[in-house]
Amino acid sequence: MTRTGSRRARGRASSIVVAVLLLAVAGLAILPFVFMVLTAIQKSSRIALAFDPAKLDFSSFGKLFTVYGFGSALVTSSIVVILACIVNNIVCSMAAFAFAKKPFPGSDKLFWIYVATMMVPGQVTLIPMFLIMREMNLLNSYLSLFLPVINAFGVFLIRQFMDGIPDEILEAARIDGASDLRIFVSIVVPLIRPVLVALTVFTFLTTWNDFLWPLVSITDTSMQTITLAAARLQGQFVTDYGLVMAGATVAFIVPLVMYIVLQRQFVQGITSSGIKG
Amino acid sequence: MTTRRARGAGRYAGMLYVLPSLAILTLVMLIPIAMTVYFSFTSYSIMGSPQFSGTANYQRLLSDAAFLGALRNTAIYTLISVPLQTVVSLLIAAALAARFRNRLGGFVRSALFIPVMSSMIVIGSVWRFILGSQDSLVSQVVSFFGLDPVNILGNPGSALVAVSLVTVWKNIGYFLVIYYAGIMEIPHDLYEASSLDGAGPWRQLWHVTVPSLRPITFLVVILGTIWSFQVFDLVYTMTGGGPGGGTVTLVMAIYDAGFKNYQMGYASAMAVALFAIVLVISIIQRRVFAKEDNS
Repeated sequence: MTRTGSRRARGRASSIVVAVLLLAVAGLAILPFVFMVLTAIQKSSRIALAFDPAKLDFSSFGKLFTVYGFGSALVTSSIVVILACIVNNIVCSMAAFAFAKKPFPGSDKLFWIYVATMMVPGQVTLIPMFLIMREMNLLNSYLSLFLPVINAFGVFLIRQFMDGIPDEILEAARIDGASDLRIFVSIVVPLIRPVLVALTVFTFLTTWNDFLWPLVSITDTSMQTITLAAARLQGQFVTDYGLVMAGATVAFIVPLVMYIVLQRQFVQGITSSGIKG
Repeated sequence: MTTRRARGAGRYAGMLYVLPSLAILTLVMLIPIAMTVYFSFTSYSIMGSPQFSGTANYQRLLSDAAFLGALRNTAIYTLISVPLQTVVSLLIAAALAARFRNRLGGFVRSALFIPVMSSMIVIGSVWRFILGSQDSLVSQVVSFFGLDPVNILGNPGSALVAVSLVTVWKNIGYFLVIYYAGIMEIPHDLYEASSLDGAGPWRQLWHVTVPSLRPITFLVVILGTIWSFQVFDLVYTMTGGGPGGGTVTLVMAIYDAGFKNYQMGYASAMAVALFAIVLVISIIQRRVFAKEDNS
């Protein structure tokens, strides 16, 4: 009796230790972002660890928008992200519909090619993509920024989900005289909404955070994306802590707000990419 | 007769739905992959046109100190970050699943996911200020104890370790979610049985949790390895590849060769090498997964 009692007490004590450790880990995950914001909003020549109302200074943010083109960068990134999400959802769900519900001769082999391209890292196609876009006069355009985001992963993800839709539902609609397009739009699309949300979150984040492709393909500063603008700031002003951290804060804030609003969908959308391999 | 013809054409109706996707995939993946492979056998500066040069680029790779250095850095980076992020995320997931399936656990998981959704550019900039330069956070802390300020990013060895550890810091939240979902799938009886045998939490972790999660651990290791061979943004902002090329990674070497030195052919050969490495890792993954499925 006493033995189980002491054991339970020891269990509770170790539970507290583990809880403190876990909270410390969570703090470690958040603190760098807190330092970032604190440095951005205060006059400081070094990274700020505390908040001092006397030092409050938002001039760095002002400079971002008046001098360093962060306004147009935010607009560019937003347009590219929205285009990427819309096109990716439409194009990938259409293709997945064919692969899952309207197979044609050779569609299995074609799907195999789709899956194979998912193993190719994006960096491998960087140089030809640059040359193709240059040849087509598409460098510094919205199209060139979002087109590489459209790939086989979305098709693969949606197809897996569509395989779970019973053929009988579609067959019943077909007997009622519904066309393929009608079946796709009014029956299939509503049923796959969860996976479309996941793909949207995934597309949003990869496009917003994309860096290497904008770095090589954008030469015109009026077309730079937000990550590119933040990185250029960092390269130019190694010692202006407030300015660089303000830039990082702006690039960080949009995904953070989306994450807070759509937390569950975010986690699903991003971790679903892990299953692709 | 008409119905048969309709049915014959109808067999291909699905193709229409694939076409937009296939057109984009052809433009952004299939053609570029073929071009990369072709360019890798040519000498191609961005001004001229590609001149066939056989395997010259590949021979150069084998003796190029910059490429071999990048390969070495990427390998070290992988060897530090992958095991560490795998073990730490598993431990945190196990602790959360065992005792904190409550709001505290939810908070920890949400907090750890913030670095996951952040861009590497943001993360690199912040950690550069925390670790690098003379008046960095680390220097402030160290001088508080009366020691000389240190610049962790000022030395090639410690800079590479720092970049690896920041990667671990970023990735833990991601793998934690995967592990946590995996632990939820483990039948509860297994824990009850081992509990009756008198196993404590550590023995349960080692004898029940870890073996049950083997396929997931495999996924986590493979995914982590593939990601680390693709690292670029973090290094670009945190160290710029320096000091002295000590943190130049494979993708950064490709970027430098192609877009700084304008050697498109040589850069393409490096890209093919990267592709080959990732492909081998993916094939190993498929093999092992197939084996797991059979047994």
